[in-house]
Amino acid sequence: MATAQLPRRDSRARPGLLDPGPERADDALARWIRHALWLLGFGAGVGVLALTLSSEGRASLDVSLVLTVLAGWSFIASGLIAWRHRPEGRLGPIMAAVGFVWLAWRLLAHSDWSPAFTAALWLSDLWAIVFAFFLVSFPYGRIASKRDYALMAPFVVAVVPLELLWLLFWRTDEGPGNALLVWPNTTVAENVDAVQRALIVTGSIVLTGVLTRRWLVASPAFRRVLTPILTGAAAILLGSSLTVVAKVTEPPAILEWVVLSALCAVPLAVLGGLLRARLARSAVGDLMVELRDAPSPGELRDALARALHDPSMEIAYWVPEYETYVGPDGRSVRLPASGDGRAVTTVEHGGRAVAALIHDESLADEPELVGAVTAAAAIALENERLQADLRARLEELRGSRARIVEAGDAERRRLERNLHDGTQQQLVSVAIGLRLVASRLEGDSEAAELLAAARDELAAALDELRELAQGIHPAVLTDHGLDVALETLAARAPLPVRVRVEVAERLPEAVEVAAYYLVAEGLTNVAKYAGASTASVAVEREDGRLVVQVADDGVGGADPAHGSGLRGLADRVEALNGRLRVWSPAGGGTKVLAEIPCA
Amino acid sequence: MRVVLADDAVLLREGVARLLTEAGFDVVGQCSTAEDLLLKVRSYSPDVAVTDIRMPPTQTDEGLRAALEIRSRHPKVGVLVLSQHADVGLAMKLLAESAEGVGYMLKDRVEDIDEFAEAVRRVGHGGSVIDPTIVSQLLGRRRGDDPLERLTPREREVLELMAEGRSNQGIAERLVVTERAVQKHITSIFQKLGLPAGSEDHRRVLAVLAFLRS
Repeated sequence: MATAQLPRRDSRARPGLLDPGPERADDALARWIRHALWLLGFGAGVGVLALTLSSEGRASLDVSLVLTVLAGWSFIASGLIAWRHRPEGRLGPIMAAVGFVWLAWRLLAHSDWSPAFTAALWLSDLWAIVFAFFLVSFPYGRIASKRDYALMAPFVVAVVPLELLWLLFWRTDEGPGNALLVWPNTTVAENVDAVQRALIVTGSIVLTGVLTRRWLVASPAFRRVLTPILTGAAAILLGSSLTVVAKVTEPPAILEWVVLSALCAVPLAVLGGLLRARLARSAVGDLMVELRDAPSPGELRDALARALHDPSMEIAYWVPEYETYVGPDGRSVRLPASGDGRAVTTVEHGGRAVAALIHDESLADEPELVGAVTAAAAIALENERLQADLRARLEELRGSRARIVEAGDAERRRLERNLHDGTQQQLVSVAIGLRLVASRLEGDSEAAELLAAARDELAAALDELRELAQGIHPAVLTDHGLDVALETLAARAPLPVRVRVEVAERLPEAVEVAAYYLVAEGLTNVAKYAGASTASVAVEREDGRLVVQVADDGVGGADPAHGSGLRGLADRVEALNGRLRVWSPAGGGTKVLAEIPCA
Repeated sequence: MRVVLADDAVLLREGVARLLTEAGFDVVGQCSTAEDLLLKVRSYSPDVAVTDIRMPPTQTDEGLRAALEIRSRHPKVGVLVLSQHADVGLAMKLLAESAEGVGYMLKDRVEDIDEFAEAVRRVGHGGSVIDPTIVSQLLGRRRGDDPLERLTPREREVLELMAEGRSNQGIAERLVVTERAVQKHITSIFQKLGLPAGSEDHRRVLAVLAFLRS
């Protein structure tokens, strides 16, 4: 069984990837800061454009410059939007910081004041640390392990001690000059610079390798989240390699454009991932609203299928007693094996299995969505499971009730047949024997009298036995069917009964017996209580049901709750999944109607 | 009068055969199944077939179906059906086509050999036999505005005997009156009940039964 899993991470270490986090009133400060940063970011980009164009005297924009500013804006804008939607997450501020550092050193590089210019030199490398941090800490905004800190080490070493060391020795004629220059020594500076570049390239290679491995072991959904980060790592690897190549020869401009384009795209892709998670959450939100209205079994399935965007989804409920899954109808369900296009997500509530969602395999790529939907629906599913459980038990109970009634009927049928084939026949034989004796006793008056008395006794016994057998089981029903049996019943009634039986074929015995007893009891009640002048019996098949009706034109006012006769009939009818109804308005006659399924 | 007997209760059947023999009938064949009965009727051409209703293999309505088949295939053979129960529905099914040469009687009654012999004879002559239990059941119901209440007690007796399938002569013997008196009663009954007068005995039975069932 495939069970969808959320990416395994300590839950404390992933703030805000899934949880929207309500925006609070005391976030007003953060909102003001963000507004300011929007302006600042926009201004920085415009500044870079303007200063670059004016300083180099170029009349037109070149591709690199435009891509450079766009990359900065992309990080800042994506970062600020992510910050707004996930104020508790650190991903937004980190992305914005990447963008600001990116633009800041390019602004400062135009300064005529040497400390600012020097700061620009340092910031241009500091950006690598910030960007590497963004990559390593993604998507949680925190560095989770010592190994991840180690990934940062080459960048930190290159940017903090080595950069300072380099600045001490590096003499430049560009701009206002290097403010930190102490011992101008080109050889030392060149060597430090080479070590720096080597460290950054090495760091980039390791980082790219680690992120590639992280991507490879991730679940398909998490891979989609990680893909922009991998792209970013590739960009920094390519970019740092270009700085090495640049030592020897001018690399083709197209490579620089590729790096810059990738840097433009990465934050947008990250933001896209965040917003898609928001869409999934809105589907879950809709689901919550639908669940609030306590949906029926079919509606619950439909609502879940809509939220998961999988119309083929099915629900199976866990029945602990039988340790099996059952469908909404209470019938047993086999969960599909993995690999045939279907996947199973188990839903738990309070630590116990509740249900299994059988859905399209592709949904396993969206564990956040499936996880959120199942979490939202767990209580509704638990309710539904209890109901399915109840239905399964009711079905079982109804079946056992029907079996008890049938067993009773079978036993009575057997008794009646034994009486008929045995005792009744034997007694008739005895009567015949006595008769033959009597015919030989002509003239002997005393013996003939005694014999005549015995024969009368015997005749009375036979009458009683016949009544008894008839009471035990209506043989005429089993032997000749409903129409004949109801005709007999009607004839025994003390009032005229119109009988209409429109059933040509024989029905299941339990149904026939129920219909027979219903008419028998109905006519008995008519005779006893109704004060009716006529009654009618109608039996017909309708939509797979046998509809039996006994009506009279008597005084009405019968109370079905009283008198065990009707109650017993209702039990019998309900055991067959049927329904018994009684109409008996005072003065308006009585109508007893039973509907018994007989497919 | 030649009789064939069918009943799977052998002891009882032998007893019935003896009774019939003592009453002067010629019991030409005995059997335990409906199939055998049809065979014997075909080969012996009896005047009357006396059969139980429940017989092998299903012990349900074999005898009844055999009776109906004999009536339609061998119209000269009368059939007297014996039953452990007096079922109006069953009697009506048996008489659905015609009451001619058909009888339906409680098995207990064979012991009253005079009645039994008279029933066999009547069926053998194309008449009808309806068990008195059936008739009294039908007569026992109340009716709103009941025309039966307009009958005199004697007319009621005549109606009952008529419904049992008896001829005028049989009724006269039973009531110890003249046939002429019986005929007068019958005319009066038919008038009071609004039935068409003057039909043969077996048609008269159906008309009376139909009236009583309505």
